[in-house]
Amino acid sequence: MGEPNPKEKAISQFYVELNKFGQNSEYERALKTANKIIGIAPHDGSAFQCKIVCLIQLNRFEEAIQLLNKKAEFASSLIFEKAYCHYRINQHEEALKVIEKSSEVDDNRIKELKAQVLYRLEKYDDASKLYQDILKNSDDDYEDERNTNLSATLLYSKESSVNI
Amino acid sequence: LPTSMEPIPSKPLFYDLALNFVEFPDLSEKLEGAQKSKQGAGISGFVKGLWGWGKK
Repeated sequence: MGEPNPKEKAISQFYVELNKFGQNSEYERALKTANKIIGIAPHDGSAFQCKIVCLIQLNRFEEAIQLLNKKAEFASSLIFEKAYCHYRINQHEEALKVIEKSSEVDDNRIKELKAQVLYRLEKYDDASKLYQDILKNSDDDYEDERNTNLSATLLYSKESSVNI
Repeated sequence: LPTSMEPIPSKPLFYDLALNFVEFPDLSEKLEGAQKSKQGAGISGFVKGLWGWGKK
């Protein structure tokens, strides 16, 4: 392969920058850097994903959805991000559709989001079952919050209403 | 006659945990590229090409 060409060098430097901004949650700046990479390498999937994450963190959900719809080549690997955008702008049915089209239903992130979407759609029984499944199969720092969410679903779910 | 007080359920707390999973992909491979390019590319370019976008 030999020496990297100037393009590759520039991209590498931008990635160092992008990584730093990402770690510091400086999403405005990260977005600019991601755009620089995409300007040089329009087919770079990692830069595109970073851009979408930036838009989400900056609450620019509609813009993110538009972009995902335009770039079909990347959209299939960003199902979670797309569904999350729909969720945040209260398009819960649409979010569920995106999730159910995905082949990664076993992905923990997708499950977490799906449980939240089901809750917003008032499908409390399904949501509580999903939370119980996630709680059994996850090992992270969010267990307390997840139990809180489970309690909320149980409060509303028909099955438990007899006991309250 | 005053109507008796009735308890009403409070709105339960509900967290957006999914937001915690909206994060950058693993960029270590891209950063490795930056370090190695300083030392001269060698085989790293080839390896990068091999692993790079294959995950898509």
